[in-house]
Amino acid sequence: MKRISRLSLLGISALAMSIAAMPAFAKTQLHVIVAHFSDHTLTTFQNAAKRFEAAHPDVEINIEDVSWDNLQQRLATDIAGGTAPDISVIATRWVLDYVQNDIAEPLDAYIKPEFRSRFYENLLKPGTVDGKTYLLPILASTRALYYNKDLYAKAGVTDIPKTWDELKAVSEKVKAKGDGAYGFGIQGKEIETDTYWYYPFWSYGGDIVKDGKSGIAGEAGVQAANLYKSFIDGGLSQPSPTGSNRQDIETLFKQGRLGALVTGPWLRGQIASEAPKLNYGIAPMPSATKQLTWGGTDSMMLFKSSPNKELAWQFIQDGIFSTETRLEFTLSEGFLPVLKEEMNDSRLANDASLKAFADMLPIAQFAPLMPQWEQVVAATTAALQQIYLGQQDAKTALGAAATQIDGLIAPQ
Amino acid sequence: MSRPHLLLPFAMLLPSLALVIWIMGYPVTDLMRMSVHAVNRFGQAGNFVGALNFSKLFADPLFWASFRRTVIWTVCVTSGTILISIPVALVLSQDFAGRSVARLIVLLPWAVSATMTGIVWRWTLNGQFGMLNALLLQFGLTDQPIEFLATGEVAFPVAILIGILAAVPLTVIIFLGAFSSLPGDVFDAARIDGAGPLNTFRYMTLPLIRPFVNIAIVLNVIYAFNSFAIIWILTQGGPANSTDILVTYLYKVAFQYGKMAEASAMSLMMFAFLLVFCILYARFAMRERAL
Repeated sequence: MKRISRLSLLGISALAMSIAAMPAFAKTQLHVIVAHFSDHTLTTFQNAAKRFEAAHPDVEINIEDVSWDNLQQRLATDIAGGTAPDISVIATRWVLDYVQNDIAEPLDAYIKPEFRSRFYENLLKPGTVDGKTYLLPILASTRALYYNKDLYAKAGVTDIPKTWDELKAVSEKVKAKGDGAYGFGIQGKEIETDTYWYYPFWSYGGDIVKDGKSGIAGEAGVQAANLYKSFIDGGLSQPSPTGSNRQDIETLFKQGRLGALVTGPWLRGQIASEAPKLNYGIAPMPSATKQLTWGGTDSMMLFKSSPNKELAWQFIQDGIFSTETRLEFTLSEGFLPVLKEEMNDSRLANDASLKAFADMLPIAQFAPLMPQWEQVVAATTAALQQIYLGQQDAKTALGAAATQIDGLIAPQ
Repeated sequence: MSRPHLLLPFAMLLPSLALVIWIMGYPVTDLMRMSVHAVNRFGQAGNFVGALNFSKLFADPLFWASFRRTVIWTVCVTSGTILISIPVALVLSQDFAGRSVARLIVLLPWAVSATMTGIVWRWTLNGQFGMLNALLLQFGLTDQPIEFLATGEVAFPVAILIGILAAVPLTVIIFLGAFSSLPGDVFDAARIDGAGPLNTFRYMTLPLIRPFVNIAIVLNVIYAFNSFAIIWILTQGGPANSTDILVTYLYKVAFQYGKMAEASAMSLMMFAFLLVFCILYARFAMRERAL
């Protein structure tokens, strides 16, 4: 069934493309796919294309936006059918698949030093495979601690927690005086359950992969898991976290029933529109022996199959990564900038809550690149859920998951 | 003279046969091809690997756990659905004031997709904001909200109940048809002979609707075995894979882990399992009646 609908889709899109191509006979075509971040995404990139076309009258750029849910499958279909675009947005963690199947074009030959120096250097790392740069980040996000100022005031908390131990002490106070509010939200269900645990895991000095093996069952892993378990057992988190996904704990926070939680910059926009009266603050990620935060990027990729790679690169460099386009994108989407020069803009520099996230870019850590990443996530998540449910202790559950992950990492 | 008559039925079958082969045959042969090759995330087939994808699957404990749970799920949903649907249909086939309204209410959920059913129940069952917990708390039946979906031991039975609820309307329709096809005079005769309602049901209604029960069993087994939306929306097979059935695990293997070849092998086995079940069931249960 899937194959048939793919075939007919291909047919229709081929037809549409040939019709679209007719009037523009002499012009060189570039096909760019962007992910649908918001209703403004397409406009941002179309504006960039218009400016580029004005400077290069012999070029015509088609921008198409595709929803995140469909993007991976859409690109896979296009690649299999030989109709891949010239440039596309992809989720950075997909990069290995595209490199291993020889689909992504390495960019080092194109990138000039002065272009490279405009980026926050650590944001280029996740798109680098075997020393070659394959992806350029178009957005970044970090995670920080949101806390409810009213609840903290009611509980007599004056100092915002800087460490996980302080957060636990503060959560005790919120539990005692918060009229049924929970101290700290813990996510235990669905996408990013593992991420939520990497926050303390990294703080205790853990590494997801160390020396080619899983590092989650080390001392840092056990400490981090026991920390969350002590929140759960002590009634300092919402009860039964395995029933709460990210949206659930964010909703609790918006309702004013949660003292604190860790999440990304998007919650600011949601609070502004759904709970404008909520009195909250944003603080850096709590620390233990280290202070680190989760960093994520989405990226631009140049396809090896593109017949006009030089031109496509020109558009990437002068169109997509022009200061003007970058500012329009960052301001309208609410993510963090990837170019240092963007923070010179007063609208970004004066946004205190955005700055709280941007300040953590230098300490942002990224998920390691590995081909079986989604299975590593599944194994880690299952182990954490067993710990949170009290079915297994931290050492046993994480140990079993680490053995499983070692089998996934080992060359097959 | 007789030749055109012999050929005609086959000629008339041909278009639908061609359609079935086109719709079913192509994906199945494609699955077979993918299941014996190495296939990357982009659906491009590589080397021939023989039975490797199947042996990987047989060595996967999660596959067997999902298989076991699929059997429990299918048996519970099917039997529960039929046990509820027969009395409901029996009541709805009686003549009473407002019968059409009652029928409408029972059958309406059929118009709601399984996805929507799942979403509504996910909200209803939510531990912090759910309706069900609000009710339980209000009536003092519990002093703490219950997280229905936080543990497999609770979430899986709850999912089965919802699965039954979603399957009842169609099954009721089948039995309504069954009851309306019952010959009235035989029942009149039985009543005159002094048969009570229980005996009538046990010795007359049940044997007479037997073919409909068989149809309902086959349809519900196929429906439950392949039903993805309810469990996926409620728990995504979690926590810790404790509510995964084969279809939800299949989705993860194919579209999250990107292991298309193993996923093809798995769906082929599911297809074969269902096919064998239906054929065996048709042979034994349905033939029995014809004798």
